[in-house]
Parts: sequence; structure tokens; C-alpha cells
Amino acid sequence: MNEQGRPPEGRGRRAVPPVLLAASLVCLIVSTRSLQGLPESIGLTVLGFFQRGFSAVGSFVTDTVSSIAELRRLRDNYRELAAKLDRYTNMERGMADLREENKRLKEQLELSAEIGYQRIAARIVAKDPENLYSTIMIDKGVGDGVRKNMPVIAFQDGIEGLVGKVVEVGRGVGMVLPLYDSGSYVAARLSDGSRYEGLVGGQGSADDPLLMRFVKKRAKDEVQFGDLAVTTGFESIYPPEVAIGRVKKVIAPDFQTSVDMELEPVLDFSRLEYVFVIKPATPAAVTADGE
Amino acid sequence: MIRSIVISSLIIVACDFAQSTWFSAISIMGVTPDLALVVLIWLSYQNGVIAGSSSGFLAGLAQDFISASPIGFNAFIKTAVASVAGLLHGSFYIDRLLLPIVLGAVGTIAKALAAGLLFLVFGAKLHVYDVLGSSLWIEVAYNGLIAPLAFLLLTPLKGLVKAERGRA
Repeated sequence: MNEQGRPPEGRGRRAVPPVLLAASLVCLIVSTRSLQGLPESIGLTVLGFFQRGFSAVGSFVTDTVSSIAELRRLRDNYRELAAKLDRYTNMERGMADLREENKRLKEQLELSAEIGYQRIAARIVAKDPENLYSTIMIDKGVGDGVRKNMPVIAFQDGIEGLVGKVVEVGRGVGMVLPLYDSGSYVAARLSDGSRYEGLVGGQGSADDPLLMRFVKKRAKDEVQFGDLAVTTGFESIYPPEVAIGRVKKVIAPDFQTSVDMELEPVLDFSRLEYVFVIKPATPAAVTADGE
Repeated sequence: MIRSIVISSLIIVACDFAQSTWFSAISIMGVTPDLALVVLIWLSYQNGVIAGSSSGFLAGLAQDFISASPIGFNAFIKTAVASVAGLLHGSFYIDRLLLPIVLGAVGTIAKALAAGLLFLVFGAKLHVYDVLGSSLWIEVAYNGLIAPLAFLLLTPLKGLVKAERGRA
């Protein structure tokens, strides 16, 4: 017993923290060399299952609370709508032509979508628990056809924008590396006339602008505020012409041979709820990483 | 002690799930509080180095699976922070406000230092806090602020997670 009445810790017990720290380092050495995709995948599958459970509980509570207020609002809306219904009944005749036109347009739209790529709709269930990293967890995984390196897009306010790419997949969950992560890089070009190319990367936070680097220096006289940057499709991971962000600021230091541009992402990542994982027309891109 | 380690680890992992799914609603400039770290500090302070560091290792390893961090990154950080908190076991009385704030804030700085240490060894494959950036200091303040409440809520669990010494 020591002065504080606690039994002394043996030599073996004192060795526990160093052993555990050493075990952590061994894990790091192995994982940073990317020798093991399987343990990460298994771990993600098992823990992702519970994470989805937590997300479902959170959604249930939020939905229940909001549905009480919603009920009250719906009752008022019902009365208003009943009155409107009388008016709209009279307009129904003109709708037949519009329906026919809508059908034709829809067929064309779906055709163009099929030519490009297939999409897997997914819901965002969680974010990275660690502030240093910024991945997004989605509720679709290997079982749904999601594979490593598949690009992820989303629609917001009628705009199709790039979210990022899948970096890890479990059975029913997928981990997406968003554009704003500091480890994310996408080949991009300006779509508005000038067509200058560069490499877009994140700065680690959804609140910070994206950074388009290595753009030719002469671009600083031609690029305008609000010009849209889109994917080039060069890496064969991301499809071409998907919107990334709009030019917010041009940084052109004299000592640099290229200019950097700050981009305002077209998507507000904090408001994202649903995303689409894209199945590329050529499977080569997703199999490149051993998947 | 094994029972204590398992229960402690499960509590910390549950906190990880909570902060990855629910806490985005209370984020400040994209920074969420690290409840799992605060809880780990309390558990380690209550149970000492061995139980604390073991719980930290297991919970950190679990966190690595649901994070983009390489496996071992959070395991190392949480083991290191828990070891330091465990060394303080029984050293002083934890009041309701001041000490929890200090432990939450200092624990976050210790976490950032451990991440920095790993960055020095493993380089660009790991992410590290920017000392001049706002996110580290927001997290330090946030963890300091939630620590008194977290410690208060954890107090009834003291009997459940208390490690019985000498029965490893």
C-alpha cells in the first residue's frame, strides 16, 4: 500500500500503457502502408451497423418532435387546400396536354441519364466522429453495388454538384471522402469560356472555400468572379462536367508560376441529406484500387 | 477490472456514435465536441492507468474503423490521453465546475499534441491540428464547456464502471 491507501501497481501492470501504445503504432504502421483493406472493411461493417442504429434513433426523435408541430400546421393547410381543390378541379382539362408533353420530356431526360451513368441513391447517416477528418457515412455499401473510388454527387437547389468519392465500403455502409477534406483532389477546369485547368482540393472544413491550384498564370486576367469550375474527367474516377464550385477569389503571388483560386462550392455540404453514388460506364476506375 | 474496461469502452464507443450522428446539429463552425474524449478522461481519472488506457485503446480502435483516420491513430491518441488522466487518479478532488473544465480543455490539447507527435513520425498520411487555426481552439473550448455536464451525468455510473483493483 502507498501513502494514499492504493495498492502498488506491479511491473507487469505498469507495462500495459506502453504495450497498448506500441500496439497502436503497429496498427498505424500497417494501415498507413495500406496493407490491409479487409480489417477496415470488416470493422466498418460491424460498427457502421450500430452507427446506423444511432442515426435511426436520432431521426426518430427528431421526426416525432417535428411531426407534432407538423400535425398542427397540416390541419390548417388541409382547410386551405380543400378550398383550392375546388378551383383546381376546373383546370384539369388543360392538364391533359401538359401531361403528354411532360411524359415526352421525361423519356428524353431518362435516356440522357442512362447514357452517362447509373446512380445509387443513398442517405447520409453519420459524419466522421473525429474533427480532424471529415468523411461522410452513407447507408449503402457493397450489398447495394457501391465500390471503392466511385464518385458521389448530389442535387441541391436544382444544381448537380460533386460531393466526393467512396473511400471505404462495408456491407451496408459506405464512407465518402468529401471535396472539402484536405486529402481530396479533383482535376477541374473552368467551364466559362477560358477552360483553364487546375487541381481542386479542400482545406479540411466545409466552411472553408475549396482551393483550385496550379492554374496557368495568364488566367488571372481572364478569369472572372463567379466562373464555374467543373470536373475534367481526366482521372477516370469522376465523370466530366460535374459542377464543383464558383470562383470567389484569385490568388496570384508574384513568386509563384501559377495562380490559385478560392472556389465557393456549388453544394452546401452542411445541408446535404441525400447523395447519389455513380456507377461509371467503365468499371476500370473502381477496380483500380483492388476492389 | 475486465468488466470495467469493457463497460467503459462501450460507453465511449456509444459517445463516438452519438457525436458522429447527432452532434452535427450543435457544431460550431463545423467543429463538434469530442464527448468520447471527455468521457474517457473521467473514466481514466476514476479507474487509473491500466483500466483507463485499456478502455482508451479499445474505444480508439473502434473509432478508427468509423473514421477516415488510419487504424491505430485514435487508438494511440486515446491510450496516451487516458494514460495521463489515469496517472492523476485520486490526486485531487474533482469539483463541479472548474476542474472538469480544465480537464476537458487540457485533455483536448493533449490529444492535439499526440496527433502532432504521430504526424512527425508518419507524415502527410495523417491529419494534424493547425495551432493557428480556429478549429483546435473551438474544440478545446467546447470540450471544456461540456465536461462539467458530462462529469455530472457520469457520476451515477461510478459504481458500474469502477475497476476493482487486484482482480485483473
